Amino acid sequence: MAEFNSATALSVSGPGPLAELLAAGEPPAGLWRPEEMAAIFRHQMAAAVLGDLGGATAPAGQPPAERGVPEAQAARCESYADLLRHPNPPARLLELVKEFAKANADHPENGLPKEIAAVLYYGCIAAALVRLKARISKLSDADLRRGLGWAVEQPWVDEETRQLLGRALVGITRAGARDGSGL
Amino acid sequence: MHLDSLIRRYWRPLRVFLASTFPGLTEEQAEGLLQDFAEDKLLKAGWLQRADRERGLFRQFLKRSLRNFVLDRLSRVEVKNAPVSLEELDGELVEAGSEAGSEEFDLEWARVVLAETLRRMEADCMDPAAYQPRRSQTWELFRLRLVEPLFQNAAQTPYERLIARFGLKSPLEASNMLLSAKRIFKGHLVQVIREYTEQDDAAAEEIRRLEEFLARLAKRSRTDAPPG
Repeated sequence: MAEFNSATALSVSGPGPLAELLAAGEPPAGLWRPEEMAAIFRHQMAAAVLGDLGGATAPAGQPPAERGVPEAQAARCESYADLLRHPNPPARLLELVKEFAKANADHPENGLPKEIAAVLYYGCIAAALVRLKARISKLSDADLRRGLGWAVEQPWVDEETRQLLGRALVGITRAGARDGSGL
Repeated sequence: MHLDSLIRRYWRPLRVFLASTFPGLTEEQAEGLLQDFAEDKLLKAGWLQRADRERGLFRQFLKRSLRNFVLDRLSRVEVKNAPVSLEELDGELVEAGSEAGSEEFDLEWARVVLAETLRRMEADCMDPAAYQPRRSQTWELFRLRLVEPLFQNAAQTPYERLIARFGLKSPLEASNMLLSAKRIFKGHLVQVIREYTEQDDAAAEEIRRLEEFLARLAKRSRTDAPPG
């Protein structure tokens, strides 16, 4: 493609593209297109867990890079996929990733698309429930069912993660049916 | 910023306004009147001070000044020497409607503002003297993702090709780079506008007005377009 020249390109432009460009400086309504979510989620699952955990979620006084390092190294969890598919994932690492995902879902200006952050968040909770029989969330059963149900339905979630989310959803629904809570 | 530089930058919108408001003028006459307007009015001490906030937006003030200047200039010219009669021009003014001329001026103004913003953003990001990691890639990402699809009908580069091209390690890194590009763009946009509004709150208001204006015009263009 020929070299881009802003003055030439804009000199004949109609108001629509100009309006869109002007809006580019506004808070992000959505950085990426909905049809790109599958690619972004794949990228997220392949990304290094410790790369993201070194970011803004480290508590004061704790060097960010040290967060989750021993757990991740011991369990050989390099990527998010490694963590969520691990037969015995480190609970502490799941909690750290859940915190990271929550921070991003609550503050989309942090950068990670909030839908991706939300699936990651419920994925960690699901991995703890399914693999460790542990609960790392204070959400009520009803809220968890709603969240896991939403995550399972996202068309861009890969099959393995969907199965994990589905198993957690079934487990929590059965547990609720047994003790009569939330049903 | 010096007023003469400002006038040079926005010369095209002024010419467009003159042509659409006074369609009877030849290109040469319009250019001559604009030169006179710049020398006799804009560059005279005190003019800019009158374009203060009490008198409305700088853009509106500029349009009104130019329109009045041309009418005044033509009314003082001997009828026999006038490039075109005032009566005729007045008729054309009413016929053409000053709103159309005003809209063409504002559209052209928005084009100049945004083109200047992009030019500065590119120069800033690509400046080898001010080395900042990934700054040049930030411009490239903005160009590929936003600018070329909007203005050159290019297909938007898919996410997977972007991360491969820029070696982005995670969606967080990719999103932060795009957010960073948008922030740099916004910074330059405010700077370009602030050079004529002179105050931060007035710049924010000007951005809002330009957004409203372009959105209104875009909506009307879609409505007026023949069904496809």
